[in-house]
Amino acid sequence: MSKTTAINWEVGPIFRALLRNKVGAVLIAIQIAVTMTIIVNSVFIIVERDQQMQRVSGLDEDNTFYLSSLGFGQNFNAKVSIQDDLNMLRNLPGVVDAMQINAIPISGGGWSMGLQTKPGAEYDGVGTAVYMVDQNVLNTLDVELIAGEKFTPTDIRWREPAQGDWPDKIIITKALATSLFPDDEWQTAVGKTVYINDIEPMTIGGIIDQLQAPWIGWDKVENVMLSPEQMDQDSTRYIIRTEPGRRDDLMPQIEELLANSNKNRIIKGMRSLQETRERSYRSHTALIKILSTIMVILTIVTALGIVGMATFSVNQRKKQIGTRRALGASQGAIVRYFMVENLIISTVGVVVGAMLTLGLNIILVNVFNLDKIDWYYIPIGMVVLWLVGLIAVFAPAKKAANIPPALATRTV
Amino acid sequence: MFSYYLKLAFKSIKRNPILSLLMVTAIALGIGASMTTITVNYLMSADPIPQKSHQLFYVQVDSWDPHNAFSDDSDDNNPPPTQLTWTDATNLMSAKKANKQTAMAKSGGIIEPKGLDSKPFEASIRLTFADFFSMFDVPFLYGSGWDQQSDDKRDLVVVLSKNINDKVFGGENSIGKDFVMAGKNFRVVGVMNNWQPVPKFYDIQNGAFDEPEEVYMPFYLKEELELPNWGNTNCWKSPEGEGFKAFLRSECINFQMWVELPDLKAKADYLAFLDNYVAEQKSLGRFPRPLNNRLSDVMTWLDEQKVVEQDARLMLWLSFMFLLVCLLNTIGLLLAKFTGKAAEIGLRRAVGATKAELFKQHIIEAGCIGLLGGIAGLGLAVLGLQGIKSLYGDYVNNLSSLDGTMVVVALLLAVVSSVLAGVYPTWRACNIAPASQLKSQ
Amino acid sequence: MLKMTDVKKVFRTDLVETHALRDFNLHVKEGDFVAVTGPSGSGKTTFLNIAGLLETFDGGRFELDGQDVSDLNDKQRSQLRNQKIGFIFQSFNLIPDLNLFDNVDVPLRYRGFNAAERKKRIEHSLDMVGLAQRMKHLPSQLSGGQQQRVAIARALAGEPRFLLADEPTGNLDTQMANSVMDLLKEINANGTTIIMVTHDAALAKQAKRNIYVLDGKVSEVGKSATANHAHLAAVQ
Repeated sequence: MSKTTAINWEVGPIFRALLRNKVGAVLIAIQIAVTMTIIVNSVFIIVERDQQMQRVSGLDEDNTFYLSSLGFGQNFNAKVSIQDDLNMLRNLPGVVDAMQINAIPISGGGWSMGLQTKPGAEYDGVGTAVYMVDQNVLNTLDVELIAGEKFTPTDIRWREPAQGDWPDKIIITKALATSLFPDDEWQTAVGKTVYINDIEPMTIGGIIDQLQAPWIGWDKVENVMLSPEQMDQDSTRYIIRTEPGRRDDLMPQIEELLANSNKNRIIKGMRSLQETRERSYRSHTALIKILSTIMVILTIVTALGIVGMATFSVNQRKKQIGTRRALGASQGAIVRYFMVENLIISTVGVVVGAMLTLGLNIILVNVFNLDKIDWYYIPIGMVVLWLVGLIAVFAPAKKAANIPPALATRTV
Repeated sequence: MFSYYLKLAFKSIKRNPILSLLMVTAIALGIGASMTTITVNYLMSADPIPQKSHQLFYVQVDSWDPHNAFSDDSDDNNPPPTQLTWTDATNLMSAKKANKQTAMAKSGGIIEPKGLDSKPFEASIRLTFADFFSMFDVPFLYGSGWDQQSDDKRDLVVVLSKNINDKVFGGENSIGKDFVMAGKNFRVVGVMNNWQPVPKFYDIQNGAFDEPEEVYMPFYLKEELELPNWGNTNCWKSPEGEGFKAFLRSECINFQMWVELPDLKAKADYLAFLDNYVAEQKSLGRFPRPLNNRLSDVMTWLDEQKVVEQDARLMLWLSFMFLLVCLLNTIGLLLAKFTGKAAEIGLRRAVGATKAELFKQHIIEAGCIGLLGGIAGLGLAVLGLQGIKSLYGDYVNNLSSLDGTMVVVALLLAVVSSVLAGVYPTWRACNIAPASQLKSQ
Repeated sequence: MLKMTDVKKVFRTDLVETHALRDFNLHVKEGDFVAVTGPSGSGKTTFLNIAGLLETFDGGRFELDGQDVSDLNDKQRSQLRNQKIGFIFQSFNLIPDLNLFDNVDVPLRYRGFNAAERKKRIEHSLDMVGLAQRMKHLPSQLSGGQQQRVAIARALAGEPRFLLADEPTGNLDTQMANSVMDLLKEINANGTTIIMVTHDAALAKQAKRNIYVLDGKVSEVGKSATANHAHLAAVQ
């Protein structure tokens, strides 16, 4: 009598038996497939959004805040007020630096212009965000000059209300240098002339490492130009960088100081960069949370579905299981039987799921302009759903293994 | 018979409490998720002014750059600019070729309330014309809009939102009172009642779900008081000359315009008028692009401007797939349950129940499970909408409430989908042979 | 071959203690064909379950093929069942979703034979019961007698030392019952020990040896006694 100890997986008979009871198995397989489709695409979207959120603005976000000053009435002198305010702010203990600025990075609102390398309306421009800043810009925004020269006090001019022309000299980000001169090393942009408003020339005086535009959803969010000017406007905005840990106690203090220093203005819109980031990325955070919740619930629903169906099928097959036990199946063999059965169903499910996942991704790419999914998401998704299936079926399988062999002789 | 089947259904549901709970939970989760996203999408794509959305048209003329179209939208390869220049807005308004018309812009200024203890504060302004209030059916608490003469005479009159009236005048009837804003003395002519069109269709360039403005005043005061541009301003050409007036007369766009046209004929006439206007401007050296004027009614405009957020649509799709999974789950469990009842069904068949009657009995059971799931799902949808509100903040304040229609939709969706889910298991159950289950197996 | 000495089996619930077997003594020799009869509740099914290692017992000694089985764990008992015992059940217990081939295959899979060996054995045993041509059929396509023949083929395919039959003809009409009985006798003649539980006196008579069980004990042994109790069994 030949005797081997090899485990027999019974794949053939299980598969043939499944074919006789297709509907339940097909339902579970489709459920697994659709679940995988949703989960894998959701994970992909989550990762994509998360990567967007991980991009750095370039600012010292933890220690920076900003506020608006709105002057009103005949007695309000914007230029004087701005000079006084900046003197006061820069000399305040705990303040690293402060500056007037026209727009706040990643806040959602700001100015953009087109820059072009040749003059004339017939040439296309490269879009860039514009920040109007003074000589303190590097320190206030915590950006590093990596080529050329910084602004000196004499570079800074006053921009009158509705003034249309631009300063002669600007500083740009490395990203903007690269998009303006795609064929050259970015360092060589220093000293070159670019044109704004089609024909107005400006010289690139320096290049900074990194600074983001106000619009996080813009594909050229790293394109930024610094224009050396202060704005002669009744309504203005200050950005203030504090020493680490001082932001929260300086915010109310500064708001109060500014409000009291001049009765002809109101201070409003004070907000930390941290809060601005939270607000700007709120829809990202929300979508990530919602998709994560959906994924968890969906996995639970599918797992419970598998548990339910497996429990049902164990109950239906009690006699058969008892008979198998009587014919010599060990408890392990019974557990294995249900695991293999589930594995067969899951395999069909995840293979269909892989195709549906790709299909949904193609639709999402076309309708929602999402990116194409990276290939490795699919095998990972398949393995995860396989495991979910196996874990879900384990308890019913254990229950089946505990059916006594004596059930075979019972006439129910 | 129906009530007998109902009784049987509830007995059966109680007999397998865990299985029933699983099914009800699955349906509830599916319905909850779908209803949450359906509600958000429904409110985002709602008709904000159903009684006349077909008569209100947004005006677009292509005053843009000869070298580049206004945007490189993939769905629309040659879109005209989404707003008008000051020049075009004022020209079209003075032509008065429509029944009613209003150009408008968003601005803001500082209000200085009377009384020493009240601090000045900033508020948003809608610069508009007298027709605004009747075109958009704005409800009034006190007074009314200003008359057309005030538009042309540039009278210092304002209509206040209810909020501002509460804040500045303590909610009392402020008609005729003085109101200081942007350094000028205005006379209050009207106080609006709560008004919150969702989406805020009349100016979606500046946030389709923003709150309406707080103060309304005649459009031409923009020039008179040099009021700032709030909201989106786009330019393709820099202003010629310096100062506020030069900027106002530039090719920069910051103005919206709506016209009310009663029928297709009126629409065609107005479009012809626009074409004429552009031809005339071309002879003056403006409008370098080919003729490209548009009149879009409210729903067309909202649709073109993609007011429904992509994320919301994405979640709608995903939640429907989620519902599908929950229904597959329910089909499977119902199948399990009805197969488990084979003996009972065989017995009923043996004592003379027809297939049709058994079908009714079990479909009613499936429907009951769906109804229970739907009710629980409504609860989950309320929670889901709360969740959306807390995740997205103020932005969705007007987009996250269930109304009567949505409640009915939810229950219908639940019952219909669970009855559909029940069809196959029921069919299988009814085909059990009468005697097969009677003898022990 | 099979030796039970003072075997006890007690079923306990919160309220009652039922002695299913008390001091059960039986010795079955190799090649024997034993029919076990007794009234309902006498303990004959419990005896069958213990003999077939389907249930454990609470006292006494049980040797199967010279091996003491009282200390075996569940896995070892499963193996022993698989190798040494073939089962025939009253309601056949074929697996409805599997065709005849796969049904006979079930115990062989647990035995760990390779595919060729299994195929040979399945075909041989189905041939023996005269159903080799219907290997691809499902149990539901067969008559009761044919189904029981498949069950016998399944029991024999592993060439067990024992065949345990539980009312093998209980669900069959007389003609089919006789043909199944003839098959069992033929198997016994080929050297397989058979223990058959039945309440059919006529059937029991055809066995080599008769045992009567009453109140969990072997009360009388021997061919002579069976006739008296046959009607007792028939009344139940």
